[in-house]
This record gives sequence, C-alpha cells and structure tokens, in this order.
Amino acid sequence: MSHDSHHAPVACKTELAPERSDLGLYRPDRATGWTDWLTTVDHKKIGILYGAFAMLYFLIGGVEALAIRTQLARPDNDFVTARMYNQLFTMHGTTMIFLGVMPLSAAFFNFLVPLQVGARDVAFPRLNAFSLWTFVFGAFVLNASWLFEFGHLAGWFDSFAWHKALVYTDFAPANGWFSYAPLSGTFGANGQALRFTGVGTDFWIIGIQVLGIASLAASFNFICTIINMRAKGMTMMRLPVFTWMALVTSVLIILAFPAITVALIELMFDRAFGANFFNPSAGGQPVLWQHLFWIFGHPEVYILVLPAMGIVSEVLPTFSGKSLFGYPIIVFSGAVIGFLGFAVWSHHMFTTGLGPVPTAAFSLLTMAIAVPTGVKIFNWLGTIWGGRIRFTPPMVLALGFIWMFMCGGFSGVMHSSAPADSQQQDSYFVIAHFHYVLLGGVLLGLMAGLYFWFPKIFGRMPNAPVAYLGSALVILGFNLAFGPMHYLGLAGQPRRTHTYHAGNGWETWNYVATIGAYILGIGVVIVFGNLVWTAFRGKKCGSDPWDGRTLEWSLPSPVPEYNFAQAPVVATRDAFFEHKHGAKKIGLENDGGEAGVHMPSQSWMPMVASAGFLFIGFGMPMMAMGIPHAGWLVISGLGVLFLGIWLWALEGPGGYMLKTPAPSGAPAPAETVAH
Amino acid sequence: MSSSHEAAPSKAFLAEEVRRYHHFIVLALWLAVVTGAEIVLIYLPLPTAVIFTILTLMSAGKFFAVIMWFMHLIYDKRLLFWCFLAGLVLAFATFAAMLALFSADRIDTRWFS
Amino acid sequence: MSDTAAAHEAPTSTGIDHKKLIMWLFLASDCMFFGTLISTHLLYRKLFPAGFTDAEGHQRFIQDLFSIELTSFSTFILLMSSFLMALAVSAMHKGQVKSFRRNVLGVIVFGLIFLGCQVFEFTHFYHKGLTIQNSVLGSTFYVLTGTHGTHVAIGVLWLILLYFYSFTGKLGGHMGALDVEVAGLYWHFVDIVWIIIFTAVYLVEYLGPYGIWGSGLPAVVK
Repeated sequence: MSHDSHHAPVACKTELAPERSDLGLYRPDRATGWTDWLTTVDHKKIGILYGAFAMLYFLIGGVEALAIRTQLARPDNDFVTARMYNQLFTMHGTTMIFLGVMPLSAAFFNFLVPLQVGARDVAFPRLNAFSLWTFVFGAFVLNASWLFEFGHLAGWFDSFAWHKALVYTDFAPANGWFSYAPLSGTFGANGQALRFTGVGTDFWIIGIQVLGIASLAASFNFICTIINMRAKGMTMMRLPVFTWMALVTSVLIILAFPAITVALIELMFDRAFGANFFNPSAGGQPVLWQHLFWIFGHPEVYILVLPAMGIVSEVLPTFSGKSLFGYPIIVFSGAVIGFLGFAVWSHHMFTTGLGPVPTAAFSLLTMAIAVPTGVKIFNWLGTIWGGRIRFTPPMVLALGFIWMFMCGGFSGVMHSSAPADSQQQDSYFVIAHFHYVLLGGVLLGLMAGLYFWFPKIFGRMPNAPVAYLGSALVILGFNLAFGPMHYLGLAGQPRRTHTYHAGNGWETWNYVATIGAYILGIGVVIVFGNLVWTAFRGKKCGSDPWDGRTLEWSLPSPVPEYNFAQAPVVATRDAFFEHKHGAKKIGLENDGGEAGVHMPSQSWMPMVASAGFLFIGFGMPMMAMGIPHAGWLVISGLGVLFLGIWLWALEGPGGYMLKTPAPSGAPAPAETVAH
Repeated sequence: MSSSHEAAPSKAFLAEEVRRYHHFIVLALWLAVVTGAEIVLIYLPLPTAVIFTILTLMSAGKFFAVIMWFMHLIYDKRLLFWCFLAGLVLAFATFAAMLALFSADRIDTRWFS
Repeated sequence: MSDTAAAHEAPTSTGIDHKKLIMWLFLASDCMFFGTLISTHLLYRKLFPAGFTDAEGHQRFIQDLFSIELTSFSTFILLMSSFLMALAVSAMHKGQVKSFRRNVLGVIVFGLIFLGCQVFEFTHFYHKGLTIQNSVLGSTFYVLTGTHGTHVAIGVLWLILLYFYSFTGKLGGHMGALDVEVAGLYWHFVDIVWIIIFTAVYLVEYLGPYGIWGSGLPAVVK
C-alpha cells in the first residue's frame, strides 16, 4: 500500500486528500450529507437506512390495514370497491412481510452483527450497500403499482391505445401475498397466455424477485461476517444469541429464496412468453406453484420470527440481571426450528388433498416444531425467574412478545392437526393466528429491539412515559383487533372477502376488531413517533444506559465509524457484563490499531448496479401493459446492472486510515445505569 | 495493498501444486472415460433398473470427483464441504419429497398428451 | 473481482478467505435453485411421459428430438473446460500468468462451443416442433437448459473480463489467485449441474422403448 496523503491516518474522513479510484474517478470518501448517505459502505449507516425505510413501509402497510378494517367495520359496506379491497390486502401482506419486517430485521443485523462479533465492518461492505439499494428500488417498484392504479382511476391513461387494449386493468397486485396460480398465471392453449389478472401481478413478480436478490446478497454477507470475522476468543458458543439467530436466519434465506426465485421465473415465463408451467389448459399443475411457494414460504415464517426471538433473548437477560437461562439449548432450538422449517411446507396445503400418508407426516412434523419453540419459551421464563426485573420499555415489549407469541403458537398447533385445519382454512381464524405470531410476536420483538438499541444507535434515550403509553396501546389494540378474529373465523367468516351480509352474527366482533385496529394504529404511530423524536431530540445518554451484556455496549454512543479502536479479545459469553462485574476482562489485541484503523472506501457503484433493477422493474410490467418500446427499458436495465458491477470490480477496493483515540488499556468502565 | 506483491511461492507449495496438477490430469481422463461408458451403457441390453442405478452412481461419482478435486474441497478446510453439502442434501431431500407428493394416478392427464 | 478491503486485513476466524466462503455459500444456495428447476422438469416428465403434439397435430416423443451425439459432444466439451479451468487456477497459484491466460482462453473457447451447441440444439428442436408454448415439456426443457446456458454465458463473460484484466498487471499475488479461484468455483459448479442434467434429462430418456418415464404411458399411445 502506498502511503500517500490519502492514506496517512486522519482524525476525520473530511480531512482526507482527494483520491481517484483505479477508474480515474474521485472516490466519495470525503463526502458529507446526502452524498455520504448514498455512497456509504458503513454497516451502521446502512442499518439506519434499512430501519428508516422499514418504518416508512410499516406505516404504509398500516394505512392499508386500516382501510381494510374500515371496509369491514359494518356489513355490506362500500368504503372501497371489491377490486380495491383485493389490492389492499395483497399489498398489505406483501408490504408488511417483505418491506416491513424483513428490512427491519436486516437493519438490526446490519447494525449489530459486526459490533456483537467484535468486527469493524461486514465482510463485503460494498455488497452490503448493493443489498440496501436493491431493496430500496425493489420496494419502490412494488409500490409504484399504486401510482399506476391511481393514474388509471383518475383516467390519465384513457386516451392511450395500449390502455384501451387492456382486458384487465388492475394495476396494483390483487392475488393475495402468495399469488396462487392459476389466478396469478395464465390459461389457454398454444401460448395464448390469457390472464385472470392485470399487470399488478407483473409488478408483484418483478418486485419480489428484486427483493429476493437483495435478501440473498445480504445473507451471504452476514454468514461470512459471523463465521469469519469473530474477534479473538469469540467462539461460536460465545456468540450473543441475537447473532446466532442472525446466522440461522441468513442460512434459511439463502436456502429458501432460490425456490421462490425459480417459481417467479416460471410464472414470469407463463405470463410474458406463453409458457405452460402453471397453465391448466396445457396440463400445467397450479398446485406446483403452491409447493414451490411454500418450500420458500414456510422457512420465510421463521426468517421473520427468529430475529425477533434473538432480540428478546438479549433484552430479557439484560433487564433481569441474569444471564440467559440455557444458552446452548436456546441456540440449538433456534437451529432445529430453522432446519425443521424446511420439512413442513405442505401443512399450508392440507386441503389440496395430499393423500393420507403425506398429510399425517406433515402434520406430525408440524407438531414437532412446537417443541423447540416451547423450549425457548421456557428458557425465557427461566431467565426472568428470580431475576431483578427492571420494567423498562424494551422489557415491557419483550414480555408482551412472550405472551402474545405463545397465543399465536397455540393456535398454530391447532392448525397442525389436519382435520381441524380443513375447518379453519381460509377463515379469519388463520388471520388471527398469524397476526398473533407476526404482530404480537415479531412486531413487539422488533419494537423491543428498537427501544433497546436506539440509545446505542443515536446516543439518545427514548421518552419512557410515551414509550409505555405507546406499548400499552399497541398491546391493547392488537388484542382487541385480532382476538375476536378467532371467534369470527370459527363462526365461518372467510378471509379475503370484501364484505359480508348482516345477520351472520359477525357484526359486533368485526366492529370491535376495527376499533382495536385504530387503537393499534395510534399506538404504532406513538411508538414510532417517539423513536423519530429520540433520534433527533432525545436526552443524551452514556454508552451503557441499560447495563448491557454484549460487546456493542462497550463502545461509545453513537458508535464511531471504525467501531473498535483496537480489536477486543473475548474470554467469556456476555463478555462486557463479565468485564464490568466479573473477573474475566475484555482484552485488547495489539493489531496496530494505534497506527490508525483501515476503513473501506465509499462507492457509487453498488447503487448504480442496483439502479438497473429499477429499469427492469418498471420495464417488465410496462411490457405487459403493452406500452411500446418498454422492452428497451428492460434491456437498458440489464446494461446498467452489468455496467455497475463491472465498474465496481474495476475501481479497486481503495481504503483509507482513520486515527483512533489513544488506547486507554481497556474499554471504558460502566457508566451510571439508568432506571 | 501489501498483499499484491508477495514473496514467490515456497518450494513445498510448488511441489504440492505439481502433485495436484497430476491429479487433475488423471481426473480429466476418468471423467471422459465415465462419460463414454454412460453413453455405451444406455444401449446395453440390461434391465432398466440396473442401468438406471449404474447411471445414477456414475453421475454422482463424477459430481463428487469434480467438487472434491477440481473445486479443491479435498485440499481446503472441511467447513466449505459441509456448507455446500447442506445445500445439496437439502435440495435433494426437498425435491425428492415434492416429486413423491405428485402421483400420476391422482392427476387426470388424459387431456394433455 | 476485488470487492472487500477487509479481506486484505487480519486473518479470518476460520482461516478461509471471505471470497471463497461466500462463493461456496452461493453455490449451496444455487443447489436449491437448480434443484427447483430440475425437479419441475422431472415432475412433468413423470406426469406427461408422452412428449408433445406438434403444429400438425402429430404426437411426438422427446426421443425423436434428442441427438445423443450432440449432447455427448457438448458434455465432453464442458468437462474438458472444467479441466482447463482447474489448470488455470493452478497456474495462478504458482504465479504463472501466461499459463493462466492460455488455459483460461481454452475455457472461454470451450464455453463458447458449448453455447453454440445449445443454440444449435434449440433451433433444431424448434424446427422439429417443440416450442416453449405448445407443451409443458417445451416450457420445462427450454427454461431448464436455457437457465443453465445463461449461467454458462455469465461464466464466459466473467472469464473474458478476467482474461483482459490479467494484462493490466493487477491480477497477481494471493488476491489475484483468489479472484481466479472463485471464478473457477463458479465454472466448475456450472459443469456439475450439467453432469446432473446430462443424466437426469437426457440419458434416462434412452432407457427402454420410451425412456424411463415411458412405463407410465397408456397402452394406446405405445
């Protein structure tokens, strides 16, 4: 490495001399403001961006949910049309899963995994930026379908020839979040490719495809980081449980997503090129779509829930003043849940008539998966048992997680029994079940994580009374909204139906559910609003306000760009807690940190490459609309993608040195503990 | 980067590379021979089940030979082997189960020949 | 090619280079990818062993289309390209850039020959009446082998870029050898996928009068 002016250690990157990459372009290393955020390769900033986008989409998905509940408040309501209702519930599910929960989990992975393993960044910083922007553009493509839909409803396209030629004019996806064929596919012999739905489905196909690429790229990166970049002494069985769950989740993503990738390719060939994969008129088997979707879809459920379980496994010990009860068992259970998650996909398909033997087998495996989940719950109870509990906002939300997730688990076990499931299939009972898992479980867990780590991320404390109020409203509203749905489902109300007649005995509880949904909505706005306020205006706090246990709490808040001035050497599990209160101190590795820390260079190229997906994402549905020359958009998108990757490869890794404060010999001692 | 101008490879390393070089040549010959045998095999008047079994074994043999030697798994850290095997076994098990779930006699295929 | 700055730094926890690890993880993931495609094809072969009906309404069998000579030739070509790739990686380990270039050029040429064979095969099948639209068989066959062909094409492109990059003098040392080795892993994987496809899609169709799936054919068709 040549030690020119760019490479001499500086205290702040704005003091760097300008440097050209191997391509001859200036590297955006010295950038501040917008350019800095757009070109950043810092895992912490990428994590914050993931979190910000995820919270935005949570609110969008929430507005869609409230529109659904408003429509269902009264029988025979006409707040929205049946078609709009289909689009609303499809986009609500898709948004919450792919644009809300998964990116918020990714935000935590990004921010925490390198800090918890004692690394200075992820293994591939620029690939990480690529994942972020690919997610952002994929999410934008998916939601752009709403813009087309509103344009259509407003009559903007009426004068165009391509619009007059359309048979179906639903521009936003309307197939439900699993887009079952043949509804999402085609019919007719010899490549007629007649459709049941409009271009909304094409938006959905390409949107999910792009989001899948983002998730895959991010997961390869995290697995590499966790396996390969652990600090000295950080053995696998000393990893914080959150990091373990990040590892299991990433493994699930890389093994589950290829199935949906191929299924989407096949569906795309059906719709765009008249292939027959799911075309019943030519012998295609629509049920194959169900298999491929759920081979991905069931592991996806654990992809959603395991990060939240990891968060709760960090929050509970911290506020119980005890170490996690049965650490190896919790880790092992998480891995078993991940593994078994691949062996139960057909329990989503009991009513398709699999035959008695497969039904029995999948039923048994599904019941078996309740065992490691139950083990985890007992371990969490064991953790708080006899502890000195501090009821801080994250702790309240984490306790809410255990209770609500358990309710969701109970109704899940009910579904595992095939005869019971065939009664509950496609009823509101299923809605109640998975909202207890995904909202009562995952969302509460993620909110607990937000309140727990916001002081670390921004160095500011959330307002506690407002946090309690928000949490209480969320838990109250949530139970009011989804508790009655158990009853409604067993009383026969079908899901995905835009209205119902009076006289079925469903009026009261639907009305209650709608009131609950609005209370929940207010609670979520308060919880998120408090967090946004915290980020900018919250009271400043020290580096370790909760008396934390893992390595990230040993760093200043907010965390400096280089994370660890000197790489830590870990001697035990819960290393920082032991460091503060026990005999085993965190050592410091003499890795030349005093000469400065090597930082990766920032780059435009990951975003340029991702921008190719924006072109492809708009081009494919516009081709399906019949807009002339839209194919060129797709081809130019492929060109941009290739060009971005090529220039990325050629610009060279670069890098610069940052000065760190003089080593003090050991991490700062614990500061005053709040609460 | 300092790593781009390293010292010349050591003697032991070079000897190892030469040894691998010979492995590669032998393996390439074997791959050609096995592929030739496969093509002959399908025309032999043996029961289908026998040929099918041998074909499967030959194909699996070629597969593992390439990943072990050409892809260096036999020389590299064991972890890489387990990483790849996890994906391979899962793919095989999942899709074997899925194929078994589809039974031709429960699907009316008369209309589509 | 050169992606990470961190990869140059301290040795990794496992002693495995980041790039090599991430490539193997990608290949594990790609097993599921090709597993889905291959099983889709096999599933429809199991359900519809009779092949397809061409534009004139004639019943056609997949055995009418296949040319074992062509497929064996392209299989052999791909296997030998894998051999050359292994030699190219070996050359890079020894720091012999010229030998690397010679071998990798061979891989590129063989890869292009394979792609040429596939283009010929597709046109040939198309003229014999199998299209992506007229049957499930056409859909699964073209999409499966076409996706594999796309993987080959990406590999060829990658190797061409590496070939020209080697003239800049920046492809050297441990990181250069690693870049080539990772590209090699990808190339070998494309090869082993073809080993499976060659047996599962082509060879088994020659067992018995109507292939391994032919036992499911109704007597009338036979």
